[in-house]
Amino acid sequence: MVADFSNRAESRMNIHKNARTTPYSRLLMAHRVAAGERALTLCVSEQTVRKWVRRWRAGDSRRRLCGGPPLRSHSLTEGPLPDPRNNFGKTRASPAAYGWCTTTIDCRDLMDAGTVSDTGTGLIVELPETPTRAGLAITDLVEGVRKSWLWTTLAQQDVKLRYRGSILGPFWQTLTTAVMIGGMGCIYSKLFNNDLHDYLPMLSIGLIFWTFIASMVTEGCGTFTSVQGIIQQVRLPFSLHAYRLVYRNLLTLAHNFVIIPIVLLLFPHPIVWARLIELIPALLLISVIGVWVSILLGMVSARFRDVPPIVASIVQVVFFMTPVMWPVQALGPDAWWVQLNPFFVAIDVLRGPLLGQPTAQYSWTILAIITAVGCVGSFAFFARFRSRIAFWV
Amino acid sequence: MRWVVRLLCQVPLPHRFLGLASLSFLRLRNVCVDFPIYQGSSRSLKRALLATSTHGNLARDALDRINVRALSDVSVDIVSGDRVGLIGLNGAGKTTLLKVLAGVYEPSQGRFISSGNVSSLLDIQVGLNPDATGRENIVLRGMYMGIHPQEMRTRVDGVAEFTELGHYIDMPVRTYSAGMMIRLAFSISTCIPPDILIMDEWLTAGDAQFLDKAQRRVEEFVRGSSILVLASHSTQLVEQWCNRAILLHQGRLMTIGPIKEVVAAYQSLIASPSPEASAPIAAAG
Repeated sequence: MVADFSNRAESRMNIHKNARTTPYSRLLMAHRVAAGERALTLCVSEQTVRKWVRRWRAGDSRRRLCGGPPLRSHSLTEGPLPDPRNNFGKTRASPAAYGWCTTTIDCRDLMDAGTVSDTGTGLIVELPETPTRAGLAITDLVEGVRKSWLWTTLAQQDVKLRYRGSILGPFWQTLTTAVMIGGMGCIYSKLFNNDLHDYLPMLSIGLIFWTFIASMVTEGCGTFTSVQGIIQQVRLPFSLHAYRLVYRNLLTLAHNFVIIPIVLLLFPHPIVWARLIELIPALLLISVIGVWVSILLGMVSARFRDVPPIVASIVQVVFFMTPVMWPVQALGPDAWWVQLNPFFVAIDVLRGPLLGQPTAQYSWTILAIITAVGCVGSFAFFARFRSRIAFWV
Repeated sequence: MRWVVRLLCQVPLPHRFLGLASLSFLRLRNVCVDFPIYQGSSRSLKRALLATSTHGNLARDALDRINVRALSDVSVDIVSGDRVGLIGLNGAGKTTLLKVLAGVYEPSQGRFISSGNVSSLLDIQVGLNPDATGRENIVLRGMYMGIHPQEMRTRVDGVAEFTELGHYIDMPVRTYSAGMMIRLAFSISTCIPPDILIMDEWLTAGDAQFLDKAQRRVEEFVRGSSILVLASHSTQLVEQWCNRAILLHQGRLMTIGPIKEVVAAYQSLIASPSPEASAPIAAAG
């Protein structure tokens, strides 16, 4: 809808002649709907029309139809109403005639917008306002939590199915890790000239938590693409797939965790029992990070198929740069830069309490910052592109 | 019962508290669905990164995405008691519309509002584990429909009986024929009468005896103010099952109305020399 705006209201808004919703065109829009036109062909979406009609009907036209502060020199509502059938005496051409992208909006629906009535029972149901993107994203996250029975069951099933038919079942994972720790422990303690008594507990705890964190990141690339069949057939909250992934990894961690007490029994360390409580907030924070990482990486890798291999190779490189196989002290005075490695921070807050060693100075702060910043960023991304996931996978 | 409901509706809001707002409906307004086509190049991160960092032909080239408009400007109201058939040629947008109704695809433009719990039979395989037995799969698929395993376990026998699979119900689903799968999937999806049942055309593959039985079950709960939406290119089936129909052609809604009229329109559409079957393409940035 093009309004000749040459000598009408000057508002603070920077309105150019062909702007699609000027205050005037908003008013005209509302008047055309109120005048009972059956259908409008406009360049704006139905939501936009709905919004301005609603505000016009609410009588708030002076301020809000014009957007922002009231008009300075001339108020539309005070002047004569525009003739809805007429655009200053000129014949109004449909924007479609200019070849613009238009939507035809059913006006009858707009006037009684917000309700649906049933002819059979006479029930009138009020429709909710169109939710915002952020609102939909929050609903998705909350719905996901509510369906916790579903993702816990599915995750348990994932773990069981991976080793279906084998005798040891999921404990194959434990055995693999144990053999790896044993082998690496013997060789690397010699290489680094470390005592096995000190080295093996550090290595085994580090490696178990590394596997947990790294597999959340690499599997996070497939949060949505690996359940493509479900996403395209059933309506489920998208967050549910992320929760399922994190929970599945927690289950795997629980299976691997049995190695830790055995190692600590074989190579006894003074255990500070009080410090073991630290494990709870640490695992909680890391699980929250796992959720946002798997949502973010899952979405990006559904859209860009290069991301999973990139992430996989980065994780592989980072393994050697993280003090898992080697002690931090080996770096000497230059150890500060390991703190910049989020993988180290995560392992540090878990390994410290178990070994009875102090955690690095800033580990908790950095972990909290990663959680907060990641949640906000990932949420913004999720809210913006959530509806596209079904088309991407 | 009706007058009780009507009486209650005179008072504002009580039906909400009493849970009497059983009105189920599907409402589409100007719904468009665009499928982005990512052909190799635009799925590539490198191209997208280059596109943001350079401002030349490359940028235009790299992000020159093509959107196929699968549904265009569809407005429909479906209310309780409607048994709606979706008909149209292949590629008319039937399945896409079903997926919008099932809440799988969110429209790229327009509004979709629905009320009532939806049960969709779009894909026969969803939630079925080929290695598990029929009985186990009843619980598994029920979970994807949002039914708690505990509740589903109480219904297993009823579902098994409806499938008439006999002792096959205790065999792995992998050994089932296509028809037996349909029996199982249909029985699970309708074991709790849904407010809205959405079915794609594969149901047609079931045998006549089971189709009869299925039809009776569907009729039963549509009488209890539910909605059925069935996509098919078999006009015979649609005439049998539905009381309203929608004709889709190239993503647009051509006709909506009583079944006879729409089928007639469909037949004339088939008879007329059709223009090239081309999906309307909208270029988008």
